[in-house]
Amino acid sequence: MKIRIFVGTGGVGKTSVTAASALRTALDGEKCLVMTVDPALRLKTALGMTGAALEQRVPLEPASTKGELWAALLDVPTTMDRLVRAHSGAAKAQTIIDHPVYKLLLTSLAGMNELVAVERINQAIADGFENLFIDTAPSRHTFEFLDRPEFFVQLVSFPLVKLVGRTYAWWKKSPLSGPDSSDLYGRLQQMLGATLVSQVLDFFAIFQPVAEAYALHSRQTLKILRDSRTTSFTIVTTPAAAKHDSDYLFNELTKRNYFVEALIMNRLWPDLRLKATSGASPAVRDLAGWYEGVYTAQLAIHDNVHAAWAGKGRRVIDLAELSMDIDGIAGLARIAEQLKAA
Amino acid sequence: MRRAITIFCGKGGVGKTTLSLAFALRHAERGRKVLVVTSHPIPELAVTISLKGLKDSHSLAAANLFVIHIDPRDVLQRVVRQGIGSATLADAVLSSRIYTSLIEVIPGLKEIAFVSRMRELSIQDGTESADRFDLIVWDAPATGHFLRTLDVARNFDSYLSGPLSLLGKDLAGFLSDPAALVLMPVTILEEMAVKETMELCEKLIADLKIRPTALICNMTSPLLAASQSDWEETRRNFGANVKGSGNLNFIFERLAVERALFGRLRLAGSVPLHVVPRKPASTSDVELLLELAGVLSSVSNGPRL
Repeated sequence: MKIRIFVGTGGVGKTSVTAASALRTALDGEKCLVMTVDPALRLKTALGMTGAALEQRVPLEPASTKGELWAALLDVPTTMDRLVRAHSGAAKAQTIIDHPVYKLLLTSLAGMNELVAVERINQAIADGFENLFIDTAPSRHTFEFLDRPEFFVQLVSFPLVKLVGRTYAWWKKSPLSGPDSSDLYGRLQQMLGATLVSQVLDFFAIFQPVAEAYALHSRQTLKILRDSRTTSFTIVTTPAAAKHDSDYLFNELTKRNYFVEALIMNRLWPDLRLKATSGASPAVRDLAGWYEGVYTAQLAIHDNVHAAWAGKGRRVIDLAELSMDIDGIAGLARIAEQLKAA
Repeated sequence: MRRAITIFCGKGGVGKTTLSLAFALRHAERGRKVLVVTSHPIPELAVTISLKGLKDSHSLAAANLFVIHIDPRDVLQRVVRQGIGSATLADAVLSSRIYTSLIEVIPGLKEIAFVSRMRELSIQDGTESADRFDLIVWDAPATGHFLRTLDVARNFDSYLSGPLSLLGKDLAGFLSDPAALVLMPVTILEEMAVKETMELCEKLIADLKIRPTALICNMTSPLLAASQSDWEETRRNFGANVKGSGNLNFIFERLAVERALFGRLRLAGSVPLHVVPRKPASTSDVELLLELAGVLSSVSNGPRL
């Protein structure tokens, strides 16, 4: 099994590079799944996916290709429902799925994507995909999908939380739950409002086995993601962003014990050191000078980053800026060719 | 009294942070006390742009410019301290590992804490004298997270009861007051970014009932607004008088795309457009920011004082 995770700041072309890498591996004859952790639906446009299905097989050219390319969007409700159904009986699963707090968790709140991503990776592994290519959210949120589950695992393992899960149902039926109760749950209700607390606790009481299953899966998945034999991280950057971001991302990942394999410098311009003839008008000279200036600045950053990463012992792969729109398989195939040549 | 918040929003990588700082710098240079609230944690902000050297070259601007990252954890900590009263008990709660994991895990909580702190900063009631600013700029997160932050904050009160829902009501009120927010979407002239920006503008107008003050086209190339005949002439002359034939196509294909997208934005016409050309090379980030500050001077004077 191989997992490759692509990280980077916004607008550097992570989604295209991720999809193109998956395409390349699929064309080499492997069965690949490319999935996104980012709530933005970029992957769908990049691959030219149509229809509403969350997991689709992408047709490859030539049709005789042995490999397969699948694409999956991260859908919070589908992923969570599958987890719930797998870890509680049919009747209980339905109670959870119909519960107002569960619906609230899935639909109204920010941050669920990050929590559910590792479970989705776990499900993809369970589905037998041998090659996973994962596109992440821009850097401000990149580490959330790795960090949040860790906190959840901690939380579920606290004795007090376990206790609440196991005793709340009992407490609700008991005479202690009257309006004047001075116990822990009663206090909480006074502080936070009765409906909220009873709904949350009620939900947690039935949800706890699922939460524990989630925590177990997260632990396993994060362990796989930290194993450099199966998982590697690739940082995607551009000449405009690389000045600052590549070292930062490298350090943050290394600090968390994830293995950074390579840096991809995307969207490099072709050589634009142009020569204006002596007869050229000032307007033409200005324009040529402007492009030369932008190109020269790019080149300087490019050379610095190559030198710095050679010092880290990591590869840097250059990808040229394509002037055409890269959406659709044809555009991705062009990036895939560049990746193959590298 | 309330101070409006100027928000730079848009797709990832379009230059929101850089333009927020440039905009703030311009006002700080003129003696206004400016606060930039960034969604980047400070160590990460330095990844985008650095203010190194500002103090030496522009001491007035440096003295008036404040950049903060609101850490939702700090905000929640204050809420807990106020709620509990007893310092010892509050310490016990805050230092418990259960609390620290819980606030990381509860979806939406951090977003709400963030917006409630923004609201506090915008209120000028004279009580927090050290925190009084003439201008507040929010360097917002990328579109998806920005919209979700607004959604969570606006709908918070509808599903909760108790004291937390009162906070939610305040936030919903704050975000539906057109006088509280000045919106400045930023885009670059690329297909995806322009599409996302147009959708963002429509959504802001429909949901918040706030029309963006200016739409900023960032990092543009030359010849953007040249007339069709000028453009064709330059193109001809350029082809005839410049060597490097293979790469000339690259330049003109890109320019044609930018011109077409700019034309599309101009046609949509609901928000005034402003152009910030790409700077080929700057020796330092501060120099770049000061140059951009000059370009931005035509955009807006910010909320009136």
